[in-house]
Amino acid sequence: MRFSVYQESRQGPRKMNQDRIAHVYTRDALALIVADGMGGHLHGEVAAQIATHFIVEAFQREAQPRLDDPFRFLLGAITNAHHSIIDYANQRNLLETPRTTCVACIVQDGIAHWAHVGDSRLYHIREGRVENQTKDHSRVQILVDTGRIREEAVAAHPDRNKIFNCLGQMSVPKVDLSRRVGLNHGDTLILCTDGFWGALSAKLICEELLRSPDIAAAMPKLMDMAEGRAGREGDNLSVVAMTWVDQIGEASPTSISTVTMTDREYKSTVQHFQKTAPPAAPGYLSDEEIERAIEEIRLAIKKNSK
Amino acid sequence: MPAQANVPLPDGYQLQSYRITKVLSCGGFSIVYLAHDEADQPVAIKEYLPSSLALRHEGDVLPSISEENLATFRYGMKCFFEEGRALARLSHPNLVRVLNFFRANETVYLVMRYERGRTLQEHIQARRGAIKENFIRRIFTLLLNGLREVHLNKLLHLDIKPANIYVRNDGTPVLIDFGAARQTLTAEGFKLNPMYTPGFASPEHYKNRELLGPWTDIYSVGASIFACIAGAAPQAADLRVDKDRYVSATKLFGGRYSDQLLETIDWCLNLDHLKRPQSVLALQKVLLRERDPETPRRKSFVSSLRGTLLKLARKSVA
Repeated sequence: MRFSVYQESRQGPRKMNQDRIAHVYTRDALALIVADGMGGHLHGEVAAQIATHFIVEAFQREAQPRLDDPFRFLLGAITNAHHSIIDYANQRNLLETPRTTCVACIVQDGIAHWAHVGDSRLYHIREGRVENQTKDHSRVQILVDTGRIREEAVAAHPDRNKIFNCLGQMSVPKVDLSRRVGLNHGDTLILCTDGFWGALSAKLICEELLRSPDIAAAMPKLMDMAEGRAGREGDNLSVVAMTWVDQIGEASPTSISTVTMTDREYKSTVQHFQKTAPPAAPGYLSDEEIERAIEEIRLAIKKNSK
Repeated sequence: MPAQANVPLPDGYQLQSYRITKVLSCGGFSIVYLAHDEADQPVAIKEYLPSSLALRHEGDVLPSISEENLATFRYGMKCFFEEGRALARLSHPNLVRVLNFFRANETVYLVMRYERGRTLQEHIQARRGAIKENFIRRIFTLLLNGLREVHLNKLLHLDIKPANIYVRNDGTPVLIDFGAARQTLTAEGFKLNPMYTPGFASPEHYKNRELLGPWTDIYSVGASIFACIAGAAPQAADLRVDKDRYVSATKLFGGRYSDQLLETIDWCLNLDHLKRPQSVLALQKVLLRERDPETPRRKSFVSSLRGTLLKLARKSVA
């Protein structure tokens, strides 16, 4: 198995990062996970953390080194992650259960299987086109499906954040499973939160990938773009991207080969955050923020000199 | 790499509506210029230019900031804004007055009222300490009016020292250089140099910054009064915490100054922040209090004559 993988999560202008991302692989199987803890509910980041951890741990337990049935795994792991969040809330007598979205993908035998709950997305991109894409469990998606609004209007719609299916909700979430999708050499899977897809059209993402097929170069650029476009109104934004490399295809120097791994070995990269951890980069001041600060000071001076 | 110094803007440079006249001071965080506005009134302009992050080379106006330092440079700008915000809120005869704030040359500028006089530091150097008690009481009582205003606005100055106390030609003091907001920089360990001044900074300046409070500025006031008398700051607080070699002012200068003033200095310089005056008002009350009758007064001519005669008498006996 050979692939390149890139994952990054940014806080954006929000007070904290409630997104959680991870990828983990054995010699024969790869899992990619993105969860977006819901703001507006208590401890969204806890729900996202439990979900990613739960799925990673289940994968490490069950993929030895392959999963018997990737779909059954996804369904079981995501549903159990939901129960685990409910347990957490019950044990601590939380007034409200923390909630999170989740999208996860298993690649095994060159076939991708994915599942999602909520509005975190997976794009399957082939030769500069979106080949497959998850359908958000959101009110606006229903509006799109029933032809009441256009796809392009989703990102700006006032109800865009309203989702009707998530982990931690009262009822057991409906886990939406994909079909089995065979991967070609150079195919890219992007799992992302709405902070990312909300700021970039699928077309733009495809164009950037055509321009620089190496995700290690393309993804940071897309993240910058998404962050810049969202500006101060932005959200946390996260991606886990993977480009599939055929055994015979030309590999990029950064790709990972699992051939040399043993049966019982796994490698995982879970990105999680602590409340107390300092931000990775010092709060960057944009030109706009500088102008605003200056304006504020000038106003105060004027007020005081009267 | 040795610390490099920034090249200031040239004299005569037109900075928006201000004409630079000369450099007043050049520090690690900023450069302060004397300039004149359109009405030819003098102003002091502070330019944000931390030399560890942004270097202006000879002949240039724009500083060069490396890509890697840009984020930190901008982050530090936040602290400069904090200073501007703090000052803009304050309007008091004993606090420096901010007049304008603007952005130019890829950095930011703070325009302040220019005051004529000299710093308390210069007074101390001129007299090698030994500043008269009356002068000390008057300067600090007025200065504390300003500091009270600072604290009332929920701000801390955090860098009170004789060099930041300006004594106008009319004898009234004005507190300058509001680096208060800079604490955020040092707290997060960025490349900007720490802003406290050894000797004048309290123990909580160094460690346990969550303990910072009015008593922190009060420690610095105590150290400043100490410097007025001793000619130098007391032992630095971080060293005092380790091994306290501070000799009480009462012991050192007893007899030359009133016990009450000396005890007040010792009170302010307590390492335990809870054992210092807890508010500016508490300190001010003491400074304003009439001297106790038993404290030494200036010797009358007769008594000093008697003293001299007695000495001579002893000598002749010997």
